[in-house]
Amino acid sequence: MKLKDYQRLTGAIALIAAVSTMTVAGCGRGRDGASHGGASTGITDSTITLGITTPLSGATAGPGTCTVAGIKAYFGAANAAGGVKFGDGKTRKVEIKSLDDAYDPQKAKANYDQLKGSVFAMTAGLGTPTNRAYRTAAISDKVPQVLVMTGDPIFNDTSQSPYQLSLVPAYPNEGEAFGKLLASSGTAHKVAVLSQNDDYGQGYVEGLKKGIEGASNIKIVKELTYEATDTSVDAQITELAATGADVMFNAMSITPLAIASLQKAQQLNWKPSWFLPSNTSSPAAILKPGNASAYPGVYSVSFAKAPASPAFANDPDVKKFLSDLKQYGSYNETPAFPHCMWSYMAGAILEQAFTKMTEPTRDNFMKALRGISDFKAPLMLDGTSVNTSVDKQPAVSAVVVQKYNGTGYATVENFG
Amino acid sequence: MGQFIQLVVDGLSNGSIYAVLALAIVLVNQATGLINFAQGGMAVFSAYITWLLTEHGLSLILAILLSVLASFVLGALVERLVMRRFERGDPDTAVVVTIGLLTLITGICGWLWTYNNQQFRSLFSLTTVSIFGAAVSIRSIGTFAVIAVIMLFLQALFLGTKFGLALRAVAINPKSAALSGLPVGRLLMAGWGLAAALGAVAGALVAPQLTLTPGMMDTALVYALAAVILGGQSSPVGVVVAAWLIGVVENLAAVYVHFIGYDLKVAVPFILTFVVLVVRPQGLFGRKVVARV
Repeated sequence: MKLKDYQRLTGAIALIAAVSTMTVAGCGRGRDGASHGGASTGITDSTITLGITTPLSGATAGPGTCTVAGIKAYFGAANAAGGVKFGDGKTRKVEIKSLDDAYDPQKAKANYDQLKGSVFAMTAGLGTPTNRAYRTAAISDKVPQVLVMTGDPIFNDTSQSPYQLSLVPAYPNEGEAFGKLLASSGTAHKVAVLSQNDDYGQGYVEGLKKGIEGASNIKIVKELTYEATDTSVDAQITELAATGADVMFNAMSITPLAIASLQKAQQLNWKPSWFLPSNTSSPAAILKPGNASAYPGVYSVSFAKAPASPAFANDPDVKKFLSDLKQYGSYNETPAFPHCMWSYMAGAILEQAFTKMTEPTRDNFMKALRGISDFKAPLMLDGTSVNTSVDKQPAVSAVVVQKYNGTGYATVENFG
Repeated sequence: MGQFIQLVVDGLSNGSIYAVLALAIVLVNQATGLINFAQGGMAVFSAYITWLLTEHGLSLILAILLSVLASFVLGALVERLVMRRFERGDPDTAVVVTIGLLTLITGICGWLWTYNNQQFRSLFSLTTVSIFGAAVSIRSIGTFAVIAVIMLFLQALFLGTKFGLALRAVAINPKSAALSGLPVGRLLMAGWGLAAALGAVAGALVAPQLTLTPGMMDTALVYALAAVILGGQSSPVGVVVAAWLIGVVENLAAVYVHFIGYDLKVAVPFILTFVVLVVRPQGLFGRKVVARV
C-alpha cells in the first residue's frame, strides 16, 4: 500500500534476524566441576544427579519431550521402589535435571555450562548438532555424555570421544539393514530414493548403498533430496513416480512430510514397496493417516517394541512402561515417538552401569558403562541387545527389519 | 508433458496454503495499516479450537463455524487489550509487538496441547480426479474454491461496501476518520476480529496437510509474506495470484533448472520478490501511493 509499509516490513524482518542472533549468542557462565572427598560432582551417598539438554520447544519438541519423559519414568519407578543399589554398596536415588535447548547448538552448550557444576553425567538428550556443541567441553571437563540420541559415529570412537557413548544405531546401520534385505531377495528391483538434505538423510543413503554393494539385482534409478524446512515434497514424489521404481527408500524425519509422501504417491497411483526410518514409522502417527495399507509393503527397522502396536498390547514390558510413563514421566498418551522407549531403555542401561560401579567417580562410571554385553533392556525386540564394549559402535547397533501388517510391525527375514 | 502439468497442479496446491494465510495478512493490513506477524500463530490457535471441538464429538463443519466465531471474539480482544496500547505510537513498535504475540501464542499452544503432531480431519477427501492427465485431489480443488470465495468476498468488502471504506479510512488516517465521526476503536476491533476469523478458516484448510503442531504455520508465514509483497499489500486478488505463482515457479525451477534443484528452490520466491520490489515497489497488483507535496 504505502512505500513506508515496505520499509517497516523490511525493518521488522531485520529485527527478527537481530533478535535470533542475540539469542544464539547468549552464553552461560560455567562453574568449576570440582570434586570433593574423592567422589565426583553430582553424586552423594544417597543421590546421583543426571543432566539432560534436549529440545522441549520448537519443531523437534515432540521427540525431545519423550527423551526426558522416558528416563524420568524409569528412574521414577526405581526411586519409588527404594532407589538403585550401586556397586559400592550404597543405595542412591536418581535425580534428573532437564533444560530446553530448542535444538539450538548454542543453547545446548549454555545448558551444559549451567548443568555441569551440579550433575554427575549428561545423558539422553536428542540431536546431532546440539550434542556436538558441548562434546569437546565435556571431554575437557571430564563430564560423561552418554546414551545421547544421535546417529553421529564420532560419539562412539573412544580415541576421539573418551567420555561419550551414543545410544541408538547410526543412520547407516538402518539403511544397510534394509539394503541387505533387498539384495538378498534374489529378484530385480528398481529403487527410488528421497532423502533429507543433511547428515541424517545422507547417512541412510550411504548405508543403503553399502547394503546393496555388488548386488546386480538392485538398481537405484533416481535420487532426490528435500530440505527439512519444506512444507511439501509433492514435486519430488511426482518426479520419482515417473521412474516407475518398485521400491521407495524414503529417508525422512519430518512427520507431516512422511504422511504427505505416502498420500501423494497413492494419488499418482504409484504403489512401490516403501522404506521409512525408525523415527518416522509409527503406525498410529504416520502409517494410518498415510493409508500405508495401500502399498505392497512398508518396511522399517527397529529395536524397540512399539506400544501402539496391537502385537504388544499385552506385553508386560509395554504395560509397565506405559504406566511408569504416565505416573513418573507426566506423559499421558501412548507415545507416537520411539524416543520415549529409547530414553526408558537408557535408564535401564544406566542402572546396569550403576550396579557395576565400585567407586563414586566419573572414571569408574565410564569403565562400568563400557563393560555391558548382551544386556536385554526392557522393551527390546528379539534379536537386539545392548553391547557397550565394541569400539566405534553405539550402545545398540543391531536392528531388525520389520514390515507393517496393517496394524503393527512384524519382523521379516525376506523381502516381498 | 504429463509430469509438467502435474508439477503445475502440485505447485498451485502448495501455493493455496500460502494464499490463505496471505489473505488474512492483507485483511489486517487493509483494516489497521499493520503487518501482523502473529497471523500464522493466531490461525494455529484457531485450528486447535476446531480440533478440540471435533475431539469432543462435534461435526467438522460445526466445529469450524464455532471456531470462526470464537476467533472473531479473540481477535477483537487481542486488538482491544494488547494492540490498542501501541496503535497511537510508532507503527514499528506495533509490528514488533505482533512478533512478540507470535512467540507467545506458539508457546501457549505448545503448553496447552503439546508439540506432538495432531491429526486434523479434512473437509475434503483425498480422492483424485484426472485433469489433463494430472491427478488432482478433491482436497486441492476444495481449497481452491474456498480461497476464490474468500478472495472475492474481501475484494467486494473493501471496494464495494461502506464498512470496507470505513475500515480503509481508519487504516490510512485514523485522526481524520475519527473527526468525520467513524468509531475508530470499534472498526479496528472488527478488522482484527475478521482477520482472526479468516485465520480460523485458513487453519482448517492447512492443518490436514501439515498436521497440527504449534509451529505449523512458521514456514508458510514466510512464503505468505513473500506473496503479500509480490502481489501488493492492498490487493486480495494480487496476493492469491502471487502465492500460486510462487508455488508453481518453485516446483518448476526445482525440476527443470538444474543448478537450482531442490536445494535452492526456497530462494526462488525471494529472488522473485526482490526483483519485483526493485522494479515495481507497490507489488504486481498493488496501488501506487501518491502523496501531495
